Amino acid sequence: MRIIGKRKSLETCTEAGWDAFDLLTEAPLTDEDIICLRAVEGSFLYLRKLKKPFFKIENHNYIVKGVQGDSFFRFAVHRDHADEVDRLAEMFR
Amino acid sequence: MVYLNNAATSYPKPMCVRETLVRTIDAPPSGQYRSAGISDAGDIMGECRKRLGAILGIRDENRIFFSSGSTESLNMLFGGLGIPPEQIITTVTEHNSVLRPLFNRTGGAPVLLPCDAEGFVSPAVFEAEARKGAARAAVLNHCSNVTGTVQDTAEFGRIARKYGLVFVLDVSQSAGCLSVKADEWGVDALAFTGHKSLLGIQGTGGFFVREGVPFTPVMFGGTGRDSRVIVYGSESKGLSDIHAPSASDGYEYEVGTQNMPGITALNEAAGFLLSKGIEQIIAEEKALTEYCTARLSKIEGIRLIGQGNHAHSPVISFQSDILPPADLAYVLQNSFGIVTRAGLHCAPLIHKYIGSGEQGTVRVSFSLFNTKEDIDALAAALEEFS
Repeated sequence: MRIIGKRKSLETCTEAGWDAFDLLTEAPLTDEDIICLRAVEGSFLYLRKLKKPFFKIENHNYIVKGVQGDSFFRFAVHRDHADEVDRLAEMFR
Repeated sequence: MVYLNNAATSYPKPMCVRETLVRTIDAPPSGQYRSAGISDAGDIMGECRKRLGAILGIRDENRIFFSSGSTESLNMLFGGLGIPPEQIITTVTEHNSVLRPLFNRTGGAPVLLPCDAEGFVSPAVFEAEARKGAARAAVLNHCSNVTGTVQDTAEFGRIARKYGLVFVLDVSQSAGCLSVKADEWGVDALAFTGHKSLLGIQGTGGFFVREGVPFTPVMFGGTGRDSRVIVYGSESKGLSDIHAPSASDGYEYEVGTQNMPGITALNEAAGFLLSKGIEQIIAEEKALTEYCTARLSKIEGIRLIGQGNHAHSPVISFQSDILPPADLAYVLQNSFGIVTRAGLHCAPLIHKYIGSGEQGTVRVSFSLFNTKEDIDALAAALEEFS
């Protein structure tokens, strides 16, 4: 998996004081890609049985979530830790 | 795509609204009292007021004024009524378009009435507060945008009249999808938006202020009429030959160039609603809401929020045992193409009372363009989690 860009999400988590970005991948996310994302620190949830499986990684500072088959996943981050989005993007660049 | 977020903004719009909007943008522009004979936009505004009056139960439609929507309307109402927040009774079911203007005005905090687990506010509790004699106005959300619960507005109006309170009603969520009877209920002022169940576009809406209710314009500017008049009211401020003795004429509440494409579209939408019949729309949307409630209540791990015996608008909130609301809405949208809304829905105070906590709910909301198949798709998606 390779991250090729990011865009500010239209659907932010601003009600909770968080910002959200969509990290764009060069190809649709596969099961393997999602497993690979387990390297990201935090609790890992993977609903594999859904028609389009959903995953989520969560820690105190940010939430990563997405759906298998999409060419992006969402990164929601508390404003105090906004730099985390670039750190993650760099990991998979 | 299955669109179940009509309580935020209705979609799609009737075809006639789209066609009218396009035709208006394509035509040479005109504005109220300012046209150069191209067309008489005042007729459109007048017709729109008349139609809105029919939908909102207001006979004196000339006291309906256009704005950009409910938020602007409520700010103008609170500013124009000039009643300090601490002398206003309101409820925990209100949207931030009410709460933020009230809590951020100079003065104290408004009195907040609680609600039950369905989002219903007891008129008896309101009367007990009104009886104390400290309040001068009451602000009520006709129906909650979170649970859809409809308040006993007629009883609130009766109590407000009994204690001499100015009664302000927010019909943002109900105009076009519920019966609104402003005159019958004794409503003194009312705010509405055009882009929800009225089926107009964003950036339209307005407010009503009953004749005789003390109300000062919050905004001043060009109106296209009586341009020599600069100063309104009793003080001439040295401009004795260009001041008007009274600011009571309605047009001062609509200043600047009006949103004629939006108002024209709203007029068309209001005509569409009246032609179809509000009662028919209520019946169709009620059938959808009941069908959805029945379907969702049978799905393991789905908990309906704010359901009960009170009347409801076409809105249902729920939570899942598997995922928090924000994630469930994400999955519904990205895995199933079903658009809902998650979170607090800009109504932060109600959640403590309805048991939805800090994460809020997933909300689905219908328009007359939704079908049972849309609800079947939602139910099938949620059943994958059970």
